[in-house]
Amino acid sequence: MAGSPIDIIVFAPLAPIFGVILFWFIQLLFIENQKYLLTKIRDNHEPLCRFTNFLGILFQTICHALGYTVTKSGISSFYISVNYGKVAPKKEKKGVFEWISNAFLFIGPFFIPATLLLICLFFLMDKGFYIVSTTSYTFSENLTAFGINLYYFSEGFIGFLSNIDLLHPAHLGFFILLIFFGMGTRPSFIGEKKREKVDMLFDLKNIRYNILHRPLYIFILFLIAYVLSYISLLLNQNWYVALFSILGWLSIIAIISLIVSHMIIILIRLTDEIPGLWKFLPYITIPVSYLSMRTLFFIYPSSFSKWVSILVTIISTVLVVLLLLKYRTNKFKTKVGIKSLMKLGKGEKDGSR
Amino acid sequence: MDQDELLENEKIEKILSPHPLSFIGLQSLCIFLIVWGVLIGWLANFSELKNLFAGDWIVILAWGLVLLIVGIIASLITIRWRIFFLYLGVFVCGIGIMFWIGAFDSAGIFIPFYMVAISIIGFLIVELYRRSHKYIISNHRIIFKGGVITKEERTLRYDKITDINSKQGILGQIFGFGTIIPISQSGFGLGNDNSFAAGGVQVGEKKVKFLGLFGGGKGVQTPRTRSYYELHGVHPYKQIKKIVENLVQGNVITPYQQEQVTFQKEQVDIQKQMRDLLKKQNRQNEKEQEIEEKTT
Repeated sequence: MAGSPIDIIVFAPLAPIFGVILFWFIQLLFIENQKYLLTKIRDNHEPLCRFTNFLGILFQTICHALGYTVTKSGISSFYISVNYGKVAPKKEKKGVFEWISNAFLFIGPFFIPATLLLICLFFLMDKGFYIVSTTSYTFSENLTAFGINLYYFSEGFIGFLSNIDLLHPAHLGFFILLIFFGMGTRPSFIGEKKREKVDMLFDLKNIRYNILHRPLYIFILFLIAYVLSYISLLLNQNWYVALFSILGWLSIIAIISLIVSHMIIILIRLTDEIPGLWKFLPYITIPVSYLSMRTLFFIYPSSFSKWVSILVTIISTVLVVLLLLKYRTNKFKTKVGIKSLMKLGKGEKDGSR
Repeated sequence: MDQDELLENEKIEKILSPHPLSFIGLQSLCIFLIVWGVLIGWLANFSELKNLFAGDWIVILAWGLVLLIVGIIASLITIRWRIFFLYLGVFVCGIGIMFWIGAFDSAGIFIPFYMVAISIIGFLIVELYRRSHKYIISNHRIIFKGGVITKEERTLRYDKITDINSKQGILGQIFGFGTIIPISQSGFGLGNDNSFAAGGVQVGEKKVKFLGLFGGGKGVQTPRTRSYYELHGVHPYKQIKKIVENLVQGNVITPYQQEQVTFQKEQVDIQKQMRDLLKKQNRQNEKEQEIEEKTT
């Protein structure tokens, strides 16, 4: 072990914690942005927003119930609707139990959907689940190991997504789940009216409140992390980094699912501006272009058929949207071209002289 | 609705039809046919397991087995054996067509196309059935119309409605539709949920056998009726519910109104008594006059 004892004992356990917090924060940013995008399409797509609400509330309510079950508080009532979810415990437990059940409610929705996707990925993805072994257990090595683990996973996951076979039932099912979970990673709105209490600032305030008012629990949390770190150090196993790497993987899955759902929401928002039946053309383009490409590659087999098909689908959809926006709306054009207007202006000036 | 069908002073408030997704239960039967058809086609032709489906009879057997098992499960859950018979019909028809056109050799290709075609027909029938429903809410009554071949019609006056049951599933909450069941005084709009449990015991091995059976049943009355006797999957649900409830409320006599009616009845009785007394008095006067005339 080459690292200094202070580094190994005091700082090294913090490395993966910081890494997870960073990814969690990125995830929060994406969630906030998704909420913003959903507000923009809410008027025209109320059912979609209600659906995302439902998914979010479903995950949150399940997590809440899970929290009460783990703490043995029991569940006296379980209610879920599109606007509201409620879980009431049989016994109101205070102290650590209350804190654990609140933690489930608070953190669960961020990780539960991603955990379900990770389980699916274990069966579908052939590479990416790689854990780097550490030797010196220093802060920098732990951080590097955490980063490498995440890099391999990201590489494998993005590789899987870019080569996803949408004609394979399991792959198609996974892709649909990815979109659904991306939309329901966290409730975008709860209730028919917007409530401020579910935004990112509320989450951050909640964290701050827990840190300031319940330092003992935070201390216990860190203590557990440190104990785990020392155990893995003594056993010369990198379980500690591996555990946090899994949390990092979950964050990456959540972020990518959020990016995919972002793309869909942006497509919906753009097609809303296209008048008449033309707005359906981009949605028709997606399956038509993909199936055409797959048919083409079925006749002329190629090793890159899947990713090229996806690429062509994305490009053709973007092109169709842009062309429709240009020729069917007032976007990207003026009645008289700017250059001709400038020429016209020059001519008038010359004529007046 | 024709003007001839309207009553005197009747005004139509709303004409409604069920939401396209309100018959999702029936549509999901077709969705399953598409999914399973495509899946069996993929398994037999493109998957890594296609060697397992090398024989055409294996494809047909797997297709039929899953279809019938799902049919049995769905029938048991919904307590409707028609689902099982529907899937059995699909299977038998498929076998029949394959036998007729001699497509047994290419069952892996025939089945997906057949299933998709059957599902499209299924979707069209469901849509036809949905469109046959018409609910007319007027200021006097609700008229329910339905039925594709046999036309069913129910008229319900608001003063005959004793109770209103309304329900909205998750899909209904998302798309804003729901079902409103008006229950009449005669109990029209109520169904039964029955459960039954039975057990049997057999004692004895060779000659002497005792057979005993014991069981029990439970039933609970629940708001349930045919889709053409209720406001099935109406949109916008909340607005319609409010309209119906207001109309029912408008036709219910309040305690104050009831007091007024009793008071008016009493008044009428008094007036009748006064009229009778006056008549008596008149007769008496007439008799007295007659006597006076006779005496003079």
